[in-house]
Amino acid sequence: MTDINNGEVLLSVRNLIKRFPIKGGILNREVATVRAVSDVSFDIKKGETLGLVGESGCGKSTLGRSILRLIEPTAGEVFYRGQNIINLEHEEMRRLRRKMQIIFQDPYASLNPRMTVEQILSEPIEIHGLAKSTEEKRKRIFKLADLVGLRKDSIQRYPHEFSGGQRQRICIARALAVEPEFIVCDEPVSALDVSIQAQIVNLLQDLQKELGLTYLFIAHDLKVVEHISTRVAVMYLGKIVEIAESEVLYENPQHPYTQALLSAIPIPDPTLKKKRIILKGDVPSPINPPNGCHFHPRCQKATDQCKVVWPKLEGVKGDSLVHEAACLYADKRHGSDESILKG
Amino acid sequence: MNEKILEVKNLETSFKLEDGVVKAVDDVSFNVYKGKTLGIVGESGCGKSVTSLSIMRLIPNPPGKISGGQIIYNGKNLLDYSPAEMRKIRGNEISMIFQEPMTSLNPVFTIGNQLIEAIELHQKLSSKECREKAIEMLKLVGIPSPATRIDDYPHQLSGGMRQRVMIAMALSCNPHVLIADEPTTALDVTIQAQILELLRELQDRVGMAMILITHDLGVVAEVCDDVMVMYAGRVVETGTVEEIFKNPKHPYTRGLLNSIPTLSKDPTGKAKKKRLETIPGIVPSLLDLPKGCRFQDRCTFVKDACRTSEPELRVIKSGEHLDHSIRCIQDI
Repeated sequence: MTDINNGEVLLSVRNLIKRFPIKGGILNREVATVRAVSDVSFDIKKGETLGLVGESGCGKSTLGRSILRLIEPTAGEVFYRGQNIINLEHEEMRRLRRKMQIIFQDPYASLNPRMTVEQILSEPIEIHGLAKSTEEKRKRIFKLADLVGLRKDSIQRYPHEFSGGQRQRICIARALAVEPEFIVCDEPVSALDVSIQAQIVNLLQDLQKELGLTYLFIAHDLKVVEHISTRVAVMYLGKIVEIAESEVLYENPQHPYTQALLSAIPIPDPTLKKKRIILKGDVPSPINPPNGCHFHPRCQKATDQCKVVWPKLEGVKGDSLVHEAACLYADKRHGSDESILKG
Repeated sequence: MNEKILEVKNLETSFKLEDGVVKAVDDVSFNVYKGKTLGIVGESGCGKSVTSLSIMRLIPNPPGKISGGQIIYNGKNLLDYSPAEMRKIRGNEISMIFQEPMTSLNPVFTIGNQLIEAIELHQKLSSKECREKAIEMLKLVGIPSPATRIDDYPHQLSGGMRQRVMIAMALSCNPHVLIADEPTTALDVTIQAQILELLRELQDRVGMAMILITHDLGVVAEVCDDVMVMYAGRVVETGTVEEIFKNPKHPYTRGLLNSIPTLSKDPTGKAKKKRLETIPGIVPSLLDLPKGCRFQDRCTFVKDACRTSEPELRVIKSGEHLDHSIRCIQDI
């Protein structure tokens, strides 16, 4: 595996914006816009896993899909190995998709019920012309099945004959069929039972080690994200509010939203009655996000300034350089001169 | 001290399928105490939801049928009640919150309509009083400006709000027993924290008993007093929450506890695991159960004796109101 700190950047996202128009009226004109992703930038290094967390509707799935251009972003740039993929022609993009794959949340809905596992796995191999003969193709399919822990005799079966965990294995095998380098995992374990969840998480980690994969791991379960991620980004209403190495983020969360998220996780120990930060209200609508810091209506630490100024993502003092938070009060709270010297 | 309010004895619920009859709930017994919360834990298909629907007598018949056992509420067996008598209990004395707030509300009626319907049915109040009561309930569950919100349709509310409406509805007749079937599974963590806090607060205030069905062991640890772990229709371990989390004795319970990732900053002080422990394999089909212990094929401690006869539930440590029992022949 490559050294994460010095590793090369595989994917860079710069100022990515995705707005969805809401049309209405007799003339079907645009009456409002949903700002699903607003001005998001980050890098993913080769061989790492970037976790992306946030509540439903915060734009994490839209972001994941925009990167692969499954949804066309409104503005911004996505660089894959230094190449801006936003302006690529359809055919070029298709060729590049061999390197960038996605695994979806719902293993029930993302497999064609009328195709056998063999057919499902053959499709990407055929499209990208990765096998010269039928025999070679079969060999590849057996290898894939073996890689994700499916029995060889099961490839003639249809998706409905498998359990949820097995189906997710088929989805993973399909993504791996074209030998990708980068995989967007969009809530791959959320629909699974706890014991099966652990099996799939382990499988994803094993595959990463074996094949040198890079993941963008989208989930709302913070425990799973911490377990699998090298770095974690927290999203709120279309923006990244905090990003850091996974241990740093969980150890020293700077943004009040991250703090609230972390304190809301139920801990499986009955002797602990911890004091939690209970957020008031729901996530505001991304159609009309509040002015200033989007989080201020629910934030306990909000001041008048928060209502006007949108805080930028800035480095947090005292922690490694990669820890950034978008809160006016993040820096001051933890910074000390000593730690700057250390950093 | 501990007053029994609901007693389920040897409950057996079966479904007639094309390929045969399956017992989704097989010989399940437990007690629910006043002011206490019982957690029922297990993975999909273990029979936890069927257990709760059986108590409410909401099993669709056919294909389902409560084929044995007793459900004793206030000294009487609910299974002997006529449908009309049962309707008086349901929603009034025993209430239920369903898993999906998105689909359990009727989209063509305002939430007020739906709330008032429940109140009118069970309480002798004038329509004006009913509306006032409904507004009061919405306020109780923390919905802002309830007097205007009451005329909203379900689609105008967010998931968390809808779940609150469901809770308001379930609580509107001051039930003695509340069954909450995965009340927070479809919700985000921050909203989950709000709802759990609310349930706990209301329980303290009203003193009702609660059955909480979930697969999230974190939630169980925070909310429940007693725990029952189910696997393939059977109770495999039961005990107080402290016992179950401190001394899990059934290999399945242990597996469940070990397969959740721990936070590195977890105050329990457990070291972060590099690799998650898993329970190999999948839940067996109820149509094709192995002879002997139902967990044998996934169990790392399995012995020959496990494959010959199914173990009985046995007490391994007696407790004040609930013994710690397991359905396993081994002491691990």
